[in-house]
Amino acid sequence: MGCCSSSGGWCMKVVLGQLTPGRAETPAVLADEAPVVTAGHPNDPQPVEVRGADVSMGTWQSPDRSSILGVRRLKKPAAPFTSLPVQEEITTTKYSNLSLESHNISVTAAPYTSLPVQEEMMTKYSNLSLESHSISMTENSSMPVEKNITLERPSNVELTCQFTSGDLNSVNVTWKKGDTLLEDNYLVNATGSILYTQYRVAVIDSKQMGSYSCFFGKKKQQKGTFNLKVPEVNGKTKPLITYVGDSVVLMCKCQDCLPLNWTWYGGNGSVQVPIGVPVNDKHVISRKHANETSLKITQLSEDDQGTYWCHAIFELGESEGHVELVVLSYLVPLKAFCAIVAEVVLLVTIILLFEMYTQKKKKPSDDGKEFEQGEELKLDDSNGIENSGPRHRKNESMGQ
Amino acid sequence: MAYRAEPPDGGWGWMVVLSAFFQSALVFGVLRSFGVFFVEFVAAFEEPAARVSWIASIGIAVQQFGSPVGSALSTKFGPRPVVMTGGILAALGMLLASFATSLTHLYLSIGLLSGSGWALTFTPTLACLSRYFSRRRSLATGLALTGVGLSSFAFAPLFQWLLNHYAWRGALLLVSALSLHLVACGALLRPLSLAEDPVVGGPRAQITSLLRHGPFLRYTIALTLINTGYFIPYVHLVAHLRDLGWDPLPAAFLLSVAAISDLVGRVASGWLGDAVPGPVARLLMLWTTLTGVILALYPVAEAPTGLVALTVAYGFTSGALTPVAFSVLPELVGTGKIYCGLGLVQMVESIGGLLGAPLSGYFRDVTGNYTASFVVAGTFLLAGSGVLITLPHFFCFSAPTSKPQDHVTEALDTKVPLPEEGLGED
Repeated sequence: MGCCSSSGGWCMKVVLGQLTPGRAETPAVLADEAPVVTAGHPNDPQPVEVRGADVSMGTWQSPDRSSILGVRRLKKPAAPFTSLPVQEEITTTKYSNLSLESHNISVTAAPYTSLPVQEEMMTKYSNLSLESHSISMTENSSMPVEKNITLERPSNVELTCQFTSGDLNSVNVTWKKGDTLLEDNYLVNATGSILYTQYRVAVIDSKQMGSYSCFFGKKKQQKGTFNLKVPEVNGKTKPLITYVGDSVVLMCKCQDCLPLNWTWYGGNGSVQVPIGVPVNDKHVISRKHANETSLKITQLSEDDQGTYWCHAIFELGESEGHVELVVLSYLVPLKAFCAIVAEVVLLVTIILLFEMYTQKKKKPSDDGKEFEQGEELKLDDSNGIENSGPRHRKNESMGQ
Repeated sequence: MAYRAEPPDGGWGWMVVLSAFFQSALVFGVLRSFGVFFVEFVAAFEEPAARVSWIASIGIAVQQFGSPVGSALSTKFGPRPVVMTGGILAALGMLLASFATSLTHLYLSIGLLSGSGWALTFTPTLACLSRYFSRRRSLATGLALTGVGLSSFAFAPLFQWLLNHYAWRGALLLVSALSLHLVACGALLRPLSLAEDPVVGGPRAQITSLLRHGPFLRYTIALTLINTGYFIPYVHLVAHLRDLGWDPLPAAFLLSVAAISDLVGRVASGWLGDAVPGPVARLLMLWTTLTGVILALYPVAEAPTGLVALTVAYGFTSGALTPVAFSVLPELVGTGKIYCGLGLVQMVESIGGLLGAPLSGYFRDVTGNYTASFVVAGTFLLAGSGVLITLPHFFCFSAPTSKPQDHVTEALDTKVPLPEEGLGED
């Protein structure tokens, strides 16, 4: 019996694999909703039919939510909100390792209402992960709203803009990539006073990266922008100080990313010269972890001074970071050191000379223990006689 | 050879205060700011943090346990040559460290060599200071010790600047040149001959008589107990604040506030110690008891205002007890034996200091928060202040014990029998 019988509902045919015979299992789940249960067929890889009114719109996933089985969505109408005869169309997906990225820009999560519009299914590039992002804005937003999206590997990207306004009647919705107007691949939906528009793109190389903007409005256009970028790479913000003859390790890393390859460039000013190619002893590039790279330079000389760039190569483009290297000669701190030592010697000399100058009485000794201050003369004179006893004893006791 | 009957209490003494100020800055300021180098060493030698922090620990341990050596040498040769040699050793240690190729080099050069240099400088200087002052001893000591606090403020950013411009090797070279100023400070320590010097004899005789001196031993025990509790809040305050949910920046700011009130406490207590008649040991007991009570109140305080108030008060009282602690010793043993006495005290009390932080950490690990460790610290302080009560003349309210002639008399009386004519100095 064919699917999509005359019962009026529509169904999806999915080849899932084998279900356990006789057991009620859930072959498919609507994203964010409870699973739909159907009975399994005895050990045969027959397609499982999921039918009924509960095959509602949205994304159908496998029970463990790891694969996307199919999507029922609305196709962009020729004109907004006209009632066209419903043309429903379902396509099942052949690949089972899908995940859907849905970028939804919205303040309040309002469900999709079913307008009588055409449906369409996206099946190309369905073995890619799906990323969903959203922005919301109102009629009176003063600033354009922007969202930065970091993409590392090819994926399906779903961008949703939500526009809240009192009067939605004559709102024109357009999408642009950079400055180029986009014609299709997006759909529009409305609920009460909130207007949704969703754009899907399969990002497979650097040509699809860039800025995508949704525009709402008649008189005053509101703009929301999604910036698709490759992950950023961090070098070092402070310059690295090294000395002639030392060796140094320059490192670049990026957070949670897996570049295909790393390359290093060095140079002065704006000219970048590749480094490490051909492989030599002076420059050694290594990669301890997948998300970092290190360049070890030995036998530093002052010519090695300058800026070094590390490039992380992704499928979707390149990203770079930089590290600045400063090579000093030992003479630089040595000069400062000698200057300070000279100053200390000068201080000591001044202090000792000053002391010898203020001595009124000088007594010969090898450790200066008997030196005294001039103004204490009077006091000591009066004690001189009485101290002969202790002095005598000191000589005795010091003889031990 | 003529001897002074009493300390000059001024005159060249103020230059000694200046010298002691810079020395405490150059010894303890450098030690406390060494944490800035810490990060660089971890990266440069690829060693774990625990092994790198041994550098400072070895330095502190050598400085404290080497104090008696410094004191004994000062008794024999006078403070000036000893301190100047210490300065050269400390600078040499840093100089050799700038050529280090492994962590062991740093242990030996900074830890051992610079540590022994510091041991030869700090204790003899403070003892020399106590000999120069009697009526204004506490104030002079308090002023000199402010060098520690101020240098911590100045040296940390300075060291960071040096690291940014010269990397750690160049920075160590320049810190070595900075430490060489200890030699210049040592040159300022003009030797002073006091009346009781010949009486008390050489270093060995002094140490033996000190070890048999009851009040000295009790005082040493008291200071050891105080030292055990003293450092705990410094080490654990920030961690305790983070446990209570404070952010790192306000917690660090609170520590700076505590450092400022510590400074103010030192000077105020120094002034107070000289202004109030009677044994200084009573003031020490007052400040120690207050600090102990404040520490015991820490676990009770939860609100930020309460914690800030407690921290300011703790900074003030703990700073206040330092100059007074140094001033009690000359009253006990006389200025003749001050070098050896101070050296011995520093060595023994350092045991308390070394034990305090790990003990507190142990309590934290066992109980899960810092309540027990703060209470234990407070208990140690209170126990120390209790021992202080047993010192002589503690309860004499009218005894004019601050006259130096009496010290000489006491020293001469109790230590060495003298003929009558040696006592007729006033």
